[in-house]
Amino acid sequence: MASADGGAYSYSLTVFSPSGKLVQIEHALAAVGQGTTSLGIKATNGIVIATEKKSPSILIDDSMIEKVAIICPNIGMVYSGMGPDFRVLVARARKAAQGYWKIYGEYPPTKVLTQELATIMQQATHSGGVRPYGVSLLIAGWDITRGPSLYQVDPSGSFWAWKASAIGKNMVNAKTFLEKRYNDDISLEDAIHTALLTLKEGFEGSMTEKTIEIGVVTVPSQADLESGKMEGTGRIKPTFRKLTEEEIRDYLAM
Amino acid sequence: MSIMQYNGGSTIAMVGKDCVAIACDLRLGNQALGISSNFEKIFAMTERTYIGLPGLATDVTTLHEQLRYRLNMYTIKEERTMEPETFIHLVSSTLYEKRWGPYFIEPVLAGLQRMPGGSFRPFIASTDLIGCINFAKDFVVAGTASEKLFGVAEGLWEPDLAPEDLFETISQTLLNAVDRDAYSGWGAVVYVITEDKVIKRTLKGRMD
Amino acid sequence: MDISFALTGKGYVIVAADTTAARSIVKMKSDEDKIKVLSPHLLMAFSGEPGDTVNFAEYVERNLRLYHIRHTYALRPASAASWIRRSLAESLRSRSPYAVNLLLGGYDTATHTPELYWVDYMGTLTSVPFGAHGYGSYFALSLLDRYHDPEANLEEGLATLRRCIDEVSKRLVVSPGKYKVKVVDKDGVREIEL
Repeated sequence: MASADGGAYSYSLTVFSPSGKLVQIEHALAAVGQGTTSLGIKATNGIVIATEKKSPSILIDDSMIEKVAIICPNIGMVYSGMGPDFRVLVARARKAAQGYWKIYGEYPPTKVLTQELATIMQQATHSGGVRPYGVSLLIAGWDITRGPSLYQVDPSGSFWAWKASAIGKNMVNAKTFLEKRYNDDISLEDAIHTALLTLKEGFEGSMTEKTIEIGVVTVPSQADLESGKMEGTGRIKPTFRKLTEEEIRDYLAM
Repeated sequence: MSIMQYNGGSTIAMVGKDCVAIACDLRLGNQALGISSNFEKIFAMTERTYIGLPGLATDVTTLHEQLRYRLNMYTIKEERTMEPETFIHLVSSTLYEKRWGPYFIEPVLAGLQRMPGGSFRPFIASTDLIGCINFAKDFVVAGTASEKLFGVAEGLWEPDLAPEDLFETISQTLLNAVDRDAYSGWGAVVYVITEDKVIKRTLKGRMD
Repeated sequence: MDISFALTGKGYVIVAADTTAARSIVKMKSDEDKIKVLSPHLLMAFSGEPGDTVNFAEYVERNLRLYHIRHTYALRPASAASWIRRSLAESLRSRSPYAVNLLLGGYDTATHTPELYWVDYMGTLTSVPFGAHGYGSYFALSLLDRYHDPEANLEEGLATLRRCIDEVSKRLVVSPGKYKVKVVDKDGVREIEL
């Protein structure tokens, strides 16, 4: 068994311990467990992903901290764990999405992008000279084949689709809370409120539009789909967007 | 002599009412010398997407194999069939990859696009040999008889043709166009694609 | 200057090629074998740039042999043709392409059908009832258009081949003197004296 410090199998390489564990991955998971809580809820007409945005000092200009990232017009993601690792993955995801667009003339389905990121994260568990990514991701998106979908990716590279999930510091409590609150015909508006309530559960300090971030996927209407691409730009109407501070303030006030 | 004319051959696709048609000749030659009267240039990519690849014969096979590989990988990875509009972008990017040493092929595509509501919309398109896409509403042509195909199609095509009428129109257009082209002809193949079935017919043509 | 013909018949494929090895205007050899036996039921007549021809034919021969050893079974004619075509197509866009034209005659023991493929140096592949390469093709193809019968027995097939060879001898200025003829059918490959 691995000792508290990880024993002889915890350094430089991801090598199996005699008990069959990859201790480096477990450490990465521990790093995620220390990160701020993030969660995602799939509703009938959309998805919400939300996270706590805590700055260690009041002197930090938190307007530039971005934890919910737009990958392409139909996909966004949020993380718990190490910020710098997330930034790298966001850059890779955006590049993958644009690469896909260059080949097929459309943006990738959520599952394909998730698989892409999961592959990148998996490679870090058995390549030489690297460490696993210290993040778990929640990826939310909409596509024509699978509709709205919410995925979680862990440092090991494994991924699952969820109706609702939470990652980070308070994930156990948050998941229990979500299990109680979730039902299959929840609307997006209700889901956003549930998300706020869940976040509030383990929140330290005051929850304001400055200390949380929210991203939403809205399922396009039949009319939107039939009208196809937007006039002028020829782009499809985005289905993922981040809520503005004003919108978050309004939701908090409700 | 251009390399595009070395083996000869022509392809055409047309839009009808809730259906599309695509047809090609069967000749393969070495300049004026005929080699084969059984060289099909149209390939089924999905159940509802067909592509015609007229041009240099070696590239017909190579590009077909390349596209089939990429399409199969997409189908397995994404667990869905590729729609014609997506496929023409794949064709385009595959061709543009070889911008400075192109495949000498001008693809023609015909298919039925699945719409968000579950219905099907006729879709045709063509590209040049480096992948510049031409989305057309009526018909697209390519190959050594393309000028003649344009002329005949311009005269015969009309909107909203039913499958059988579309078959007649595309067949007459192709047959009469290739008869004026020494490098095309030697029989033809016509596909009519509708929502519930695809009809393939082999036509006899002048053998001179 | 090489000339090769091939035609299918009822259950067989005949492949013939001249036996002259010439350099410029000089005949260096008159018993050159330009038909390789690639596998128990596959023949390949090759022609084109001297040097490239034998080199490429041996490359194909060794690779198909390797496949046979590795997998116990030899590639079927259609698959072998596809592999050979790809080799030529890839070679065409390389720094030093092979200039080799082929006629592949095979008998598919799984479907019991004779198969003939016409392949050129660019990697053009097509299945034909009869085919030819070289100057002989200008005379032979029109004769074969008239006389070829896919249901003909071996004697009739050889008679048709004889017509082609005679026509070339009669009309072509630089006609070769001798031909090697090989046949592939359900029993495998064998050489035939005309």
